[in-house]
Amino acid sequence: MNRMYKRQLRRSAKRASLYIVITGILIIIILPIFFLFSFSFMSDYETYSEWPKPLVPSLKAEFKLDKEVDGYHLFIFNRSENDFMPFGPLSFHDDAGELEKLQEFVKRQANCTLPVSKIREYMHKADSGTPVTFNLRKKLLANYVLFFQVVNGAPKAVLNSLMVALATIVISLSIGGMAGFAFARYFFKGKNLLKLSVLFVRMFPAVSIAIPMVIILGRMGLYDQPLGLSLVYSVGQISMSIWITASVFMSIPVSLEEAAMVFGTSRVGAFWHITLPLALPGLAACAMYSFIGSWNEVISAVVLTQFNPTFPVVVYKALVGSQGQINLITAGSVAQALPAIIFTLIIRKYIIQMWSGVKV
Amino acid sequence: MATLELIDIAKRFSKNVWGVKKMDLEVEEKEFIVLLGPSGCGKTTTMRMIAGLEEVTRGTILLEGKDITDIPTRDRGISMVFQNYAIWPHMSVYENIAFSLKLRRMPGNEIKARVQKTADMVKIGNLLKRLPGQLSGGQQQRVALARALAVEPKLFLMDEPLSNLDAKLRVIMRTELKAIHQQTQATSIFVTHDQSEAMSMADRIVIMKDGKIVQIGTPDEVYFKSANIFVAGFIGTPPSNFFTVKCSVENGGISLQHPNFTLTVDPHEFKELQEYRNKDIIIGARPEDILIVPKESAAFTEKVLVVEPQGSHQVVAFKLNERIVKMIVSPEIKVRPNDTIGLAFNVQRLHFFDSNTEKRIPLGREEL
Repeated sequence: MNRMYKRQLRRSAKRASLYIVITGILIIIILPIFFLFSFSFMSDYETYSEWPKPLVPSLKAEFKLDKEVDGYHLFIFNRSENDFMPFGPLSFHDDAGELEKLQEFVKRQANCTLPVSKIREYMHKADSGTPVTFNLRKKLLANYVLFFQVVNGAPKAVLNSLMVALATIVISLSIGGMAGFAFARYFFKGKNLLKLSVLFVRMFPAVSIAIPMVIILGRMGLYDQPLGLSLVYSVGQISMSIWITASVFMSIPVSLEEAAMVFGTSRVGAFWHITLPLALPGLAACAMYSFIGSWNEVISAVVLTQFNPTFPVVVYKALVGSQGQINLITAGSVAQALPAIIFTLIIRKYIIQMWSGVKV
Repeated sequence: MATLELIDIAKRFSKNVWGVKKMDLEVEEKEFIVLLGPSGCGKTTTMRMIAGLEEVTRGTILLEGKDITDIPTRDRGISMVFQNYAIWPHMSVYENIAFSLKLRRMPGNEIKARVQKTADMVKIGNLLKRLPGQLSGGQQQRVALARALAVEPKLFLMDEPLSNLDAKLRVIMRTELKAIHQQTQATSIFVTHDQSEAMSMADRIVIMKDGKIVQIGTPDEVYFKSANIFVAGFIGTPPSNFFTVKCSVENGGISLQHPNFTLTVDPHEFKELQEYRNKDIIIGARPEDILIVPKESAAFTEKVLVVEPQGSHQVVAFKLNERIVKMIVSPEIKVRPNDTIGLAFNVQRLHFFDSNTEKRIPLGREEL
């Protein structure tokens, strides 16, 4: 009896420790991402004046307006203090200039719109001697809008990034796909060595070959051009594409193509009618790989662009140059991560196919 | 005129690797030819060369008198059933069967009728809307068959189409395939390594070994007049038993001496054996040509090793000169392991082979 009990205990201890480890790993991975998202929706006031930080951004802000002998006072509800705290100037009076300043302050600090007319309305109510409390809806996406307004060239950088990513996909998928098909279907001398050697280009860190790259691209007239950058990215992505597409094509039996040829197509026709439709999901997953690879790349982009930076470069420069505007930077970062995340989710089920092969 | 003619074709894969060394074959119209041989004998390579999926190293292929050696697969007017079916997983059964018809720009209603007709012929008429992934192996096989039949080809090629089916289904499909052939009368070439499949389906069997044809003949011919030891051993289950005997001529009679027995045969009937006086020859005895007889009239007696009941018959095995010999006896005869039984040969049905060349010694009486 005792021994059985001991064994059970040991087993549950084992299982419990496993769960603890898994949970720990999940927390380590997920928590930073969660806070990144969370901060991107927070106003300046939430970000800097509340401690401990709230887990989720609030959807509204609660204000209190009070009248004292020296003038009016504005308070904002602080969730960590669980009380109203002074907000804005020490005191203000019914003066157009002061009220406009206050309106601007509320917009900047709390991401809320509080028109001058509204302030006057609340001031009249407060004249009776009792403080007025009121709620304002917070503009959740204010940080995102601000980021693209404030940061120099951000919208254009997004366009640049898209162009680079698209060109990278086209170049790496067309060349890599053709090479992958050759590796999957044909036998030639030194095939394995060649297949392995295409991976060598990925072994050099981008920084170590940055200067030669700048010189070469400069001579080609492609320095600071989206096309030049996508060429550099393609070098690395092609090798990846070759491996992925080769495994995709290898998983499609040759006999399917042969059957098509027996039943009336040419070799090209067989590829078009049979192989391509079957390989399409795998190729799409491969395209996604190239997209994410080029969309997120910073180091080469920093070196190889000057006036036409890509979006990650802009985010990076904003991060380095900012005076601690954390919520603004997180908004930029999320904006940068979002396309990759959405793309990954759409193509999720094909990734499995990419590695385990086409089901035939 | 033959429908298909292979003239001296050969296939070399690399410097010293030959798929097919030399092959001459004429296939008559409406004939069902089976290419039979152990794996690696070049039968599939031959079929792929006929289909145009493999380039020919040497030789000529004529289809209805036209040289098709170098023309593309799609223009050859053939159709093929693949070993792994090779039906396209992203198309429905209907689209699979209609694929080649659509490529030929056949009118839509004609395609529909043709697809329905062939699908009904192979009993998948109610599965046309399904995707191949939703079908069983046997049904996929039928789709592959329907797809090949829909073309109404000059030549119908089948590359081990039954080898992926389970044993029971294989026997059913074998019968159905033969019935379909009798119905469509399409000239067919069928590749298999299963000799019972070949025997049951073929009009003529082409037995291949090491890239060469060993024997071409009807199932009866290859069974009763096997061209050499390889054929005699390959065809039939259990395979033939072989005994090396010394041939001597005594008192006008031919006597064949084995360490365990001596056979005396009529010198007129087997006069060709006289040439092998004092030489070794090999006797091939089919399992059913060894008989259990009373001990007094037996050529030799031996102890039974094992008995394998098969229902319709039983296989009795015994050891002779350290080699296992298998014979077939009717189920009425009761034998048990370690029984001593008297044995004799059905001399009229024995095969005789030259011990050096392993080729059949042709006997004059067989030509009558």
